[in-house]
Amino acid sequence: MQQGNLTALSITICIILTVVLIGFLAGRDKATRSSVEEWSVGGRRFGGLLVWFLVGADLYTAYTFLGLTSTAYTAGSLAFFAIPYSVLAYFISYFFLPKLWKVANHHKLTTLADYARERFDSKLLSSLIAIVGVLMLIPYICLQLSGIQDTLQVAGTGFINVKVVVITSFFLVALYTFFSGIKGPTYTAIIKDVLVWAIMLFMVVSLPIMHFGGWNPMIDKIVTEAPQLLTIPTEGPKGIPWFITASFVSALALFMWAHAATGVFTAKSADAIRKNALYLPLYNIVLILVVFLGFIAFLVLPDGTDPRFALLALIQTSYGGIGQGLAYSTIALASLIPCSIMAIGASNLFANNIYRDLINPKVKGAKLTMITRGMVFVVIGLALLFGLVFPQALVSLQLLGVSGMVQIFPAIVVSLFWRNQTREATIIGLLVGLAVTFTVYSTGTSLGIYEGFWGLMANFAAIVVLNPLFVKKAKVSTNDVKDYLFGRKSKEVDLVRKGA
Amino acid sequence: MKKILLVILIVLPFAAQLVVLPFVNRIDPIILGLPFLQFWLFLWIVLTPFCTFGIYQLQKSQGGLD
Repeated sequence: MQQGNLTALSITICIILTVVLIGFLAGRDKATRSSVEEWSVGGRRFGGLLVWFLVGADLYTAYTFLGLTSTAYTAGSLAFFAIPYSVLAYFISYFFLPKLWKVANHHKLTTLADYARERFDSKLLSSLIAIVGVLMLIPYICLQLSGIQDTLQVAGTGFINVKVVVITSFFLVALYTFFSGIKGPTYTAIIKDVLVWAIMLFMVVSLPIMHFGGWNPMIDKIVTEAPQLLTIPTEGPKGIPWFITASFVSALALFMWAHAATGVFTAKSADAIRKNALYLPLYNIVLILVVFLGFIAFLVLPDGTDPRFALLALIQTSYGGIGQGLAYSTIALASLIPCSIMAIGASNLFANNIYRDLINPKVKGAKLTMITRGMVFVVIGLALLFGLVFPQALVSLQLLGVSGMVQIFPAIVVSLFWRNQTREATIIGLLVGLAVTFTVYSTGTSLGIYEGFWGLMANFAAIVVLNPLFVKKAKVSTNDVKDYLFGRKSKEVDLVRKGA
Repeated sequence: MKKILLVILIVLPFAAQLVVLPFVNRIDPIILGLPFLQFWLFLWIVLTPFCTFGIYQLQKSQGGLD
């Protein structure tokens, strides 16, 4: 690895430390950690703009920037699947998130698994959803970890011990998350988002000028020298069918992630969420341009560059110390801040839906809050352990993350609209969906279609076929969430209740 | 009438960003400095919020929001 740049390294470390400090200051009011609801979803008081920053900070991570550029570098326009994916994710969210938020708000729920438990009266289902959520989220936190590790490696080779700095910075993040809860990442998210927009736009404008004399000459050069980058491949294992199904399934999966749900539950009203669904697609303007940075890397960098380092190597060869420093700190923050929100999401699932629902149902109040907060160290610790000790073991889980997460879509979203969806069919559907996804992935029989798509189809099919077998009970039984969603159901329910 | 408009606004972003991809998967013409496929995706980043906004207004006028 090439020697780093001392100016760049100092700037990066200064900005990281400033943000960590702000993260601590955000929680100086003790109320931020007084209950699970305060700590994890900020007492549901965040307005539209704050939620925008939070969800934006949440979803546009270091991995987004490093991963997309490296996909563009190796696979060309397949990387653009991220655009319809996230645009449609927000569009779809418009139709179900306000409703979900209302139920969560009314019943004081803080996780998606909480909702499933109340909706279906099933602790089995809620703990299953929590297990899937935590299992898929830890590898995702690992990705953030390798993002900051790669960045510091490029910035600091020859000056620092990268592993020590990575562990220290993640420990600091865990500590401020433990301390400030969701307030920590929210305020730092604003800094991160502003930096992301400024630095990414700066790179998109300056790099074509530096290397090609402008944007249009750059496009001309790609068109003549590497036209294969500019269209979706029409043959090979990943083509248009993959692109379409990957975009669609990822769009359905986006708000199934625990960290995305956490961000949404902080909103103060259903209307704040609707407005977010409206404005969030605009965040992708920066994303589509970032993909072009991968194309620039393809044309500029010498053959044999590790694709994983495409963006970082491009920054290193193009800018002086200050430019490098600002760019590295942006990527480092894009790794640390989402990590904090992911840790809150995973800890919440772990404490509420695995520990409380499955192991110790009596726990509540101050003790539950403490356990939830303490789980942050466990979650980040596990991610560090896996990321540093078994980096290869997690590759499959990372690839399957989206395909796995989308399997809870019927339990969370469809159930908002379908009164007679039964617990039994939903649980079996979820398990069938997971099994099919893993089978298709491990046997390599996806036929050019995204693995999660097969899983989701099997999931839906299982629910539709099995639901009539159990529907009698679901028709007459009711609970608070069902009443809230579908209104008090007919007289027969009352009669059955009286009779019982 | 309003119902038809609503359905169109819901279907449009999916149709434009997924279904028609095989037909827009091309380099020419280059518009606003973007090859056609990228221009098309860029266009729908901007147009999708308008669809959402239209749906929002329709629902509001029908009193479907609270």
